[in-house]
Amino acid sequence: MFKHLFKLIWNKKKQNSLLIVEILLSFLVMFAVFSFGVNSYRNYAKPMGINYEHVWVITYNNSLKTTNSDSLTLFYEGLLRNIKALPQVQNASFTSGNVPFSNSHSTSAFMYQGKKIDRVNQFTVDENYTNTLGIKVIEGHWYNKQDAGSKTRVTIINNMLKEKLFGKASAIGKFINYYEDKNKIKIIGVINDIKFDGDYQSADISMYNRYDTSAYHWMSKILLKVSPDADASFESHLSKMLSNSLKNSNIEIEHLPNKLKSYNKITLVPLIILSIVAAFLIINVALGIFGVLWYNINKRRGEIGLRRAIGASGGSVSSQLVNEALIVATFSLIIGSFFAVQFPLLNVFDLPASVYLTALGLAILFIYFVVLACSLYPGKQAAAIYPAVALHEE
Amino acid sequence: MISLKNIEKVYRTTNIETLALNNISLNIAKGEFLSIMGPSGCGKSTLLNIMGLLDAPSKGQIEIAEQTTEKLSDKQLARFRNQKLGFIFQSYHLINDLQVLDNVELPLLYRDASARERRQLASEALEKVGLSNRMKHFPTQLSGGQRQRVAIARAIVGKPEIILADEPTGNLDSAMGNEIMEILINLNQKDSTTIVMVTHDENMAQKTHRLVRLFDGSQVL
Repeated sequence: MFKHLFKLIWNKKKQNSLLIVEILLSFLVMFAVFSFGVNSYRNYAKPMGINYEHVWVITYNNSLKTTNSDSLTLFYEGLLRNIKALPQVQNASFTSGNVPFSNSHSTSAFMYQGKKIDRVNQFTVDENYTNTLGIKVIEGHWYNKQDAGSKTRVTIINNMLKEKLFGKASAIGKFINYYEDKNKIKIIGVINDIKFDGDYQSADISMYNRYDTSAYHWMSKILLKVSPDADASFESHLSKMLSNSLKNSNIEIEHLPNKLKSYNKITLVPLIILSIVAAFLIINVALGIFGVLWYNINKRRGEIGLRRAIGASGGSVSSQLVNEALIVATFSLIIGSFFAVQFPLLNVFDLPASVYLTALGLAILFIYFVVLACSLYPGKQAAAIYPAVALHEE
Repeated sequence: MISLKNIEKVYRTTNIETLALNNISLNIAKGEFLSIMGPSGCGKSTLLNIMGLLDAPSKGQIEIAEQTTEKLSDKQLARFRNQKLGFIFQSYHLINDLQVLDNVELPLLYRDASARERRQLASEALEKVGLSNRMKHFPTQLSGGQRQRVAIARAIVGKPEIILADEPTGNLDSAMGNEIMEILINLNQKDSTTIVMVTHDENMAQKTHRLVRLFDGSQVL
């Protein structure tokens, strides 16, 4: 029977071509939606890598008139001490502007054994960074006082960069260098991956450099880990204290959980838009399939009557129409899958192949489900056709 | 082979009740070739549909091939039609998107027959009606007479005991009509197939064993 239906559809391919194209387009849009969705979910399921609860971000600009590094160091170390002395503050850390969920990125290219690694995220941080954000050191150690006096330039990388460079081997003691700079940098530690761009984006290869005294000229963020009882009045008090210390500086205090919420919204907007477009398209396809089958039934009443006369039961007429719709969908899905598998093969958008393959499977299941749902009722109607009447009409 | 007892068929709409068949009793023996004649609207096709289990009578009993059919389910009726009955229609009812061979194979699709078996039986049936050279053609590439021969091949492919033909020569000129009639007579004589044929053509009816005339839903001869 399957071969018979296949032949019937193949011989009517011209009549079915528009429906095939419509299902194909829906499949491709659904593939895009599912790829986006699966990737976002996989990222969401991964740990954030930091504990952002009760972490505040202070943004300031260096308004001190002095350009002397020692004076600056003295001033900012004093400021940090004063902040840490507040009872609600559990930890505080100076950092470069690219704090989590800020959409601020700084990247550089590196070399390791003659191999260039592009777009490595660069962070300038201090010794309190891991404690403030709850980051785990998984190999080696985080910066300490001894590192400040080290003659060799040192750095700490994240696990993703470590695996990219060294696989499963240890990274500690290995040297890398900036692209077009032969000065070697020694790796002293590896920390866990951090999803800096929110819940739905993956972590990226990153490198954490220790600030030096010259960094106070341009450093503009302080991360604060506060106690759960730190409220608006404390925030107001903190703001006043900072304003008094940093005269003529614009002070802004933000909460990391709020920044994450905003950032997640921005990330989800394209997915929501794509889903709405897909929903309209699917409704269109569903109505199209429904309409075509309905039209087919009316046009093929004679054929349905004949099939009933020669031995088809109502159920087999119904399942024939449903199977025909599924075979038409299969034509579209075969063509669509050919295009879809190009994405993992050509590594488009640099997503893992498993994301595309999962999305492909989900899109196929979804299209079959829509086609099945839309063909059930017309199939039932076909089964109800009275053969004596249908045969007489022709 | 076919026994109809006091068959009545009433078509009802909200306002009108039409008596299509009135107290028809008929016995058709195995191997008989019976023709049914009557003016348009007298109930010939309705009677044929009831014999073919495509329609149910409002009253009366039917026994076909020693089987009472009243209590059969939709599936059982379908199986019965498939195995015992063959249908020929005035307008052929061929599927234009399928080749001649595939059209002839259709009844076998609803049986447990292998593809090879189906092919062989369909080829044999087409050979019987003299169309073995047209297997790969589509119905639209054939003349009316050829199409009706394909329809006959489809009716006999499952080797049914009874063939029900509803004006099989109605759309054909007399030469073509005679050809079709020859084939039906041959089937009746050689294979002892019971044939019930509705016709408007007196000459064709004269070639059958027995003629039943209907008028306004009642049997008059």
